[in-house]
Amino acid sequence: MLLFVTRRVGTMALTMIVVSILLFILLELTPGNVATKVLGPYSSEEQRRLWLEAHGYFDPIHIRYFRWLGDFIIGNFGESTRFKVPVGDVLWPRLWNTAILGFAVMVVVVPLSLTLGVLAGMKEGSKLDRSISVGSIVFTSIPEFASAVLLSAIFVFYLGLLPGTSGMASGFDLAQLVLPVMVLVLYDFGYVARMTRASMAEVMLTNYIRTAVLKGLPYRSVILKHALRNALIAPFTVIMLQINWLLSGVIVVEFFFAYKGFGALLLEASLNQDIFLIEACAMVAVFVAVGTQFAADVGYTYLNPRIRFS
Amino acid sequence: MKKDLEAILKKPDGKHAHSYVPELADKFVKGEVDRREFLRTATLLGVSASAAYAFAGRATGQSLIPEAAAETPKKGGILRFAMEVQEITDPATYDWTQKSNVSRWMVEYLTRTKPDNVTVPYLAESWEASDDLKTWTFKLRKGVKWSNGDDFNADDVVYNFKRWLDPKIGSSNLSLFSGLTETVETTNDAGETVKQQRMREGAVEKVDSHTVRLHLSTPNLSIPENLYNYPTGIVHRKFDEMGGDLSKNPIGTGPYELAAFSVGEEAKLVRRTDPHGYWGDEPYLDGIHYIDTGSDRSAMMAAIASDQVDGIFEVDVTQLDVVERMPGVTIHSVNTARTGICRMQVDKKPFDDPRVREAVTVSLDHQKLLELGYRGRGVTAENHHVGPMHPEYAEIPWRKQDHEKAKQLLKEAGYPDGIDIQIDVGQTQGPWELATVQAMKEQLAPSGINLKINTMPAAQYWEIWTTTPFGLTSWTHRPLGVMVLNLAYRSGQAWNESNYANPEFDKALDEANGILDPNERRKKMEEVEAILQGDHVISQPFWRSQYVATRDYVKGFATHPTQYHQFQNVWLDK
Repeated sequence: MLLFVTRRVGTMALTMIVVSILLFILLELTPGNVATKVLGPYSSEEQRRLWLEAHGYFDPIHIRYFRWLGDFIIGNFGESTRFKVPVGDVLWPRLWNTAILGFAVMVVVVPLSLTLGVLAGMKEGSKLDRSISVGSIVFTSIPEFASAVLLSAIFVFYLGLLPGTSGMASGFDLAQLVLPVMVLVLYDFGYVARMTRASMAEVMLTNYIRTAVLKGLPYRSVILKHALRNALIAPFTVIMLQINWLLSGVIVVEFFFAYKGFGALLLEASLNQDIFLIEACAMVAVFVAVGTQFAADVGYTYLNPRIRFS
Repeated sequence: MKKDLEAILKKPDGKHAHSYVPELADKFVKGEVDRREFLRTATLLGVSASAAYAFAGRATGQSLIPEAAAETPKKGGILRFAMEVQEITDPATYDWTQKSNVSRWMVEYLTRTKPDNVTVPYLAESWEASDDLKTWTFKLRKGVKWSNGDDFNADDVVYNFKRWLDPKIGSSNLSLFSGLTETVETTNDAGETVKQQRMREGAVEKVDSHTVRLHLSTPNLSIPENLYNYPTGIVHRKFDEMGGDLSKNPIGTGPYELAAFSVGEEAKLVRRTDPHGYWGDEPYLDGIHYIDTGSDRSAMMAAIASDQVDGIFEVDVTQLDVVERMPGVTIHSVNTARTGICRMQVDKKPFDDPRVREAVTVSLDHQKLLELGYRGRGVTAENHHVGPMHPEYAEIPWRKQDHEKAKQLLKEAGYPDGIDIQIDVGQTQGPWELATVQAMKEQLAPSGINLKINTMPAAQYWEIWTTTPFGLTSWTHRPLGVMVLNLAYRSGQAWNESNYANPEFDKALDEANGILDPNERRKKMEEVEAILQGDHVISQPFWRSQYVATRDYVKGFATHPTQYHQFQNVWLDK
């Protein structure tokens, strides 16, 4: 087990280093832009040159990379040109906001999609299965920007029931979380539900379930005690991947509802070419991606003893 | 003109503010100059606004007494306004109006231009211009206290001018006050000779503790208006010593103080709590809460629809229909000089051939472009960047769309089979930019011009706006036509995005700058406009009207063509 974890952590570190090199090369190879962004459009050629020199932009690329990496590891991400504050000051609160949004989505998606998936998978081809499957496909096919507009039109403009933006300008407000969560849930639940259904349907066809049914166990305990645990292994991975998706996939929703989260920040940083902020956001996204993958792998071995020691 | 009537315009010492004032007044009485021009010119020349309005009222027989307000304003309440909240580190380097709207409640200006283009005293109590309009003397208001307790005085003003005109600061005010600067050649570290603009020695003079005099090298009537341009907010004389960051150390002379500030989220301004107090009339509002709903205009619309804010910075023209139908919401509109300029660089192929430029401009139908690009909400323009909202505007109607002429011009220019051109569009001011260019593409096609549209993010467009051969640039409102001509079409200016250089044009523009008589000025402007139009440097289909929405209970609100927020008279009826 220890070896397994160590190996996983090693792969994780390696992935992060490769990504950091790619990111560095992509973003820092245009030093002229960095200086213009930091000093503003009215700065002179001379000012820009001096700034680049003072910040070591004329050093060899590998020296710059290691200096950047070193700063990064100790949490010095540089200063955002858009917000005029250290990158960390805007990044962490925004990440926290997205975590709140993501948590709220998960709280709804996980029970909802597991229940629907299990119900559909119990009897493949039944009316219930078909309704749930078709519903899942329909909702998953509607892109977030479309459902955001549609739900806004209904709940904000027509019914006037919900607040139209979710900036939380006067402190946390649960009502402002409703629409963004609704949009994300509609988009996401179908996918997880269908994965659960497929996994459940597969389990239901196995011999040990047939044996359990034939030996006269109540259907209820066949499902809950025998089928469920094995059927949940595949959805578990899918759910872990949703965390990763939520971090960057929320851009549309956060932008639309003016929610002050990580996705909106990433978009704003990109549109304004806020180099240091983009670098930090990208690294955080990569960290979360490999982190959730790691958690999924470890969790998987607990759910499935067959691969625990392989 | 009757003596008693003329006496209204005189200062308490019995003299006129400027030698031209009696002549201007005479022309107004004879009907040669209209009310708007009279008020604007008289106040710029130092006549007090109340005297100018009183004179105008008496001379035209209108009542002097202002209409009684229908309702008595209520004091109190916080106005919630949706607007982007950007960094406000240094007022001198602002490049967005939104930045100044947050800080203008703390950092005030020397003058204030009202929505009707009349400039009135603010931190400057009065001003006087010499006959040649080269020497301007500003008397500063006494008894104004900074929020840290210091007295506001001439040192503050001189300090601000020095900062604005210091090339190291990087303020756009450097080109705005070019009459106070000189160009010097310096050598940089790399040993190259570079031209640098900087403040001329003695250009800004402190006369006494509350008087400042400006010595310009060229006549300029619009100095008081320029002092209300958004990057000219007056900061404390120790601004740099105190850290040079307004958001961290918000010291100002204004009625409010910064209670909360977070870029991209919110800015909260509340009444000053320091014991020194505000010098002017207390505004009705207890505070202003700017809420950032991102750069998406539809989020602003959703915010006002669900009563999360009381007003929104701008209604995009594509959303007007929806907002108009919202119950409890009022739309305020104003015709402005905001516009989209499709400018061609006259020194880059294929636009270095004037026949190609003319083929482009003559293929376009401005009225149709206004309808398709901006839903007809504006005024058509005439390809010379001066419009009916400018006091010196002379009408030179633009030609009818003529595809045959365009084809012939292209043939002469060596493109008998038509030509492929590309335009860069950054949609810096909204989706109408793309809609307009798409309509242009359709109109250019019959002339054999194949327009390729290259869209990019706004920030990326601002990187290339002065270098791309063909691009659509959004220009903001400026109260005078000559202001933008001086910035954008004079030879060698930093913001001359079309690289246009015509000595004849520069000369005519110089002359127009120094003419006081609005009618004479208009004659000269006709010449200036005709040169620019005839050289086919730009295609300017229309001027955009501007829309702001507030909830019905927001009273006393007037939208300003520059989008500067003036909430002195705003109150909440709820």
